[in-house]
Amino acid sequence: MMKLKNVLLGIAFSVFAATSLASSGLEGQTAPDFALKSSSGENLRLSEYRGDVVMVNFWATWCGPCRQEMPLLDELYARYGRVGFSLLGVNIDDNQSKAMNMVSELGVSFPVLFDSTKEVSKLYDVDAMPVTVLIDREGTVRYVHLGYKPGYEDKYLDQVRSLLRE
Amino acid sequence: MTKRLLLSFAAGLLAVFCAVSIAQESPELVAEAETRETFRSLDEEVQDLKKEVLDLNRDLFLLEEELLFPANSQVAFFISMDVGEYFDLDSVNLKIDGKEVANYLYTEREADALVRGGVHRVHMANLKTGEHELIATFTGAGPHTRDYRRGATLTFDKGIGAKYIELEITDRVKKQQPEFVIKEWE
Repeated sequence: MMKLKNVLLGIAFSVFAATSLASSGLEGQTAPDFALKSSSGENLRLSEYRGDVVMVNFWATWCGPCRQEMPLLDELYARYGRVGFSLLGVNIDDNQSKAMNMVSELGVSFPVLFDSTKEVSKLYDVDAMPVTVLIDREGTVRYVHLGYKPGYEDKYLDQVRSLLRE
Repeated sequence: MTKRLLLSFAAGLLAVFCAVSIAQESPELVAEAETRETFRSLDEEVQDLKKEVLDLNRDLFLLEEELLFPANSQVAFFISMDVGEYFDLDSVNLKIDGKEVANYLYTEREADALVRGGVHRVHMANLKTGEHELIATFTGAGPHTRDYRRGATLTFDKGIGAKYIELEITDRVKKQQPEFVIKEWE
């Protein structure tokens, strides 16, 4: 029953999010800094990626579109990782082992961070799932995408390429 | 004779014409000079205004800092590391009088900077004069890369004037264990 409720909630959330690719108040602002424990056990801090184009992807195991989106983001990471593109996947689940299972199931290779206290999600006003934030080399938030619909990956590709060229 | 008369008449006419045209032009020249002068003074005024704004901004910044962290009630907490062979720092949690005030995760680079002699200001607070209790919890990897969690407590007396507290992680070679020392600086 609980599971069904979670799934329904997830679907409702994602549909709501996907219908609005709205711009966020964070765009043009300096990306709020954070440090989180990663799946490899290391602590990773956003400000240490200054100089790289960084994509921060907020995701959860109960979010269907995240499952679709993550392998596509991983492709982007594999392609542009060598030329100054970093991808941080921020998981907001309470249960880290569930998240780890999904990561291994999907076979994604980018660093996954755990925001179990939801502090970072609050910093980034995460009110949809997934939320994908693109940060330029100067550390400024340039694009915020709420939700995911097939085809968004082309938009990500264009934006990452243009930010890398800057 | 008539020719000379005509010539001098023409010269006179030319002089009169020139004088008239100069007289006609001079108000324009005067006006232009005046405009230039006005612009110069306006520019100077703008520059002065800009300078005043900058000064005001600086004063406000200092005032804000003094108001937010008045020197008298200020307490700063620093983390330092000496050698660090028996301890890989992961995080520090600070509680003052039972209330959590800081929880800092150290990345590999930051921990490395501490080992190299860097000092990190982990928290700054304002406290009333009197006795306060600080509980610092350090987590990381201890000897043989085992998970390590240790706490250190200090009761300190906050007097008048700023206070600096250093939380130092050192190696205890004899016991092959890390040691956590809290020092007070007045």
